[in-house]
Amino acid sequence: MSEYAIEAEHLVKKFPRKAPAEEQNGRKKVKFTWPFKRTPASFFTAVDDVNLQIERGEIFGLLGPNGAGKSTTIRMLCTLLEPTSGTARVNGYDTVREPALVRQSLGTVLAGERSIYWKLTGRENLEYFAALYHIPPDVARKRINELLERMELTARANELVEKYSTGMRQRIVLSRALLARPPILLFDEPTLGLDPQAARRTREIVLELKKEGHTILLTTHYMEEADQLSDRIGIIDQGKIIALDTPASLKRRINQQEVIKMEVSGWKPEMAERVQSIQGVSNLVTRYLGVDSTWELNLHTENSRAILPRVIEQVNYNGTHLVNMNILEPTLEDVFINLTGKALRD
Amino acid sequence: MQSTLTNEGLVAARSLSRTSLLAHLRAFWAVTWREWYHFVRYPTWVIAFVIWPILFPAMYIMGAFSLAGPQGTGITRFTEVTGTANYLGYIVVGTTVWMWANTMLWNTGLVLREERMRGTLESNWMSPTSRFFFVLGAGPVHAATMLMFVFATVVEFRLFFGTQFNANLGTLLVVALCSMPALYGLGFSFASLVITAREANTFVFLIRGLVMIFCGITYPLSVMPAWMQSVSTWLPPTIIIRAARAAALNNAPLSSLTSDLTLLLIHGAVWLSLGYILFTLIERSARRKGSLGSY
Repeated sequence: MSEYAIEAEHLVKKFPRKAPAEEQNGRKKVKFTWPFKRTPASFFTAVDDVNLQIERGEIFGLLGPNGAGKSTTIRMLCTLLEPTSGTARVNGYDTVREPALVRQSLGTVLAGERSIYWKLTGRENLEYFAALYHIPPDVARKRINELLERMELTARANELVEKYSTGMRQRIVLSRALLARPPILLFDEPTLGLDPQAARRTREIVLELKKEGHTILLTTHYMEEADQLSDRIGIIDQGKIIALDTPASLKRRINQQEVIKMEVSGWKPEMAERVQSIQGVSNLVTRYLGVDSTWELNLHTENSRAILPRVIEQVNYNGTHLVNMNILEPTLEDVFINLTGKALRD
Repeated sequence: MQSTLTNEGLVAARSLSRTSLLAHLRAFWAVTWREWYHFVRYPTWVIAFVIWPILFPAMYIMGAFSLAGPQGTGITRFTEVTGTANYLGYIVVGTTVWMWANTMLWNTGLVLREERMRGTLESNWMSPTSRFFFVLGAGPVHAATMLMFVFATVVEFRLFFGTQFNANLGTLLVVALCSMPALYGLGFSFASLVITAREANTFVFLIRGLVMIFCGITYPLSVMPAWMQSVSTWLPPTIIIRAARAAALNNAPLSSLTSDLTLLLIHGAVWLSLGYILFTLIERSARRKGSLGSY
């Protein structure tokens, strides 16, 4: 048995991309191309030289903004995509050479709730996928009842999935991933689109699964989720893993930094340059809150006392004014800002 | 892979998944019943099954009525060319076989697109089941629904037009069975096209139209120009229609159709092999390009 549950070495995934249309006098030039004619493709690198070693029994969080390469990494690991170069092994099996053995070792939840059949009942869905996962019928029957019980769906197991709430559908999707009791679970944004209660229940289940000994690779762009669930976190941006450590160690990296969070009314994006030019400001990230022209400013500095008067002076300028202000402990979001100069939501 | 239960209740390094020939057959059967449940849970199919068997041939039948003349004088010429005076039966068998071949072909080809639309293609393909089974598994359901369609056609035409069929059911069944490999093979090739081209409707309409013209669904091949006749001899639906007409209208024994059936089986071997190779190549290319989940 391999020492690691998941290993990736120099994993790269490039996608062919059509060249953007040329512009002429501000208008896009429409070029005629013959159908099926091969046009010289340019490539977009979605995953760029990723190296991972995930221990058995650990929850590993892959944290990054949308389009960072998290889902592409998961799709390569679960054999839906083939890497352009590099290798990946799941449960000791090579994802390209031994895809069937990889699929037998994995339970995967991809983002979105439409990965089950809405015209089948919850139980029929699980029976169907149990057959696809080659689980012997007597074992499958027992396992399905066990999972329906665990997910509190027994009473509604014989109703069509189309009648379920979003949270219930997600629990069926989770049950599908757990059917074969696989040692390794891949969860791609498991709480995306769920209401707070359903998201909390999903997080509880993830922690229960860890206690049972499952190895879990979880992608998320919710920093609180990554912080709460993960033993270790890999921060991914533009296809590269830019930091990898425990949540506490990642936050300790910027412990000398302080974070000033401000809410400013009437803020204009062009004012950012003036605030950033204040000596001692290492990072500034702004976000429109959408209420009463209010913006949120996140300032990173080594000495908040020294820069505060100047920042307040710049903010209370020409009709803009400070509405609220806090000095906070760094979060994983601040780690990301510190590493990339932008927020996770960008 | 060794089972390594470390503590009571802890997950093992090996999952409950046990691949075997029996497990593969169970997976195939699961795809079939999934498809059947989807078929019966969209009840609008009943309307299609009542209306289509009569609606589709009706336009050709009306055309035949008008061409035959008020006293049916044109029928003599039709009999000379086709060898049967039962022009209603001739048209109905042609259109029904065309519909059946069409359904087999396109449903096999489009099954992946349907999965894409449902959003379930990737969750299926993440399982250890062979990806061919997801295309093949829907076949029995399509065959069963077409049997129902044929039954509805026969009942409706006897009821509304008094059409007589002099069928050899055994031969007809063998014709249907011998047609399947070729149609599945074509379906595989088409499924590959759906993976790579993502949008399949243009191809469906183009090929459906070509088959409709070249395979003689309502007229004998001899009315076509010579070059069209040579193209049509290479198309499996032409052979299927010819053999089905002989079995359904002339009570042809199996022995009289040996050459057509052999030809169909050869087509089947060629198209199945070609479809398998194409499907494998294009499925791998889709995994490389990342075009599997998008449509």
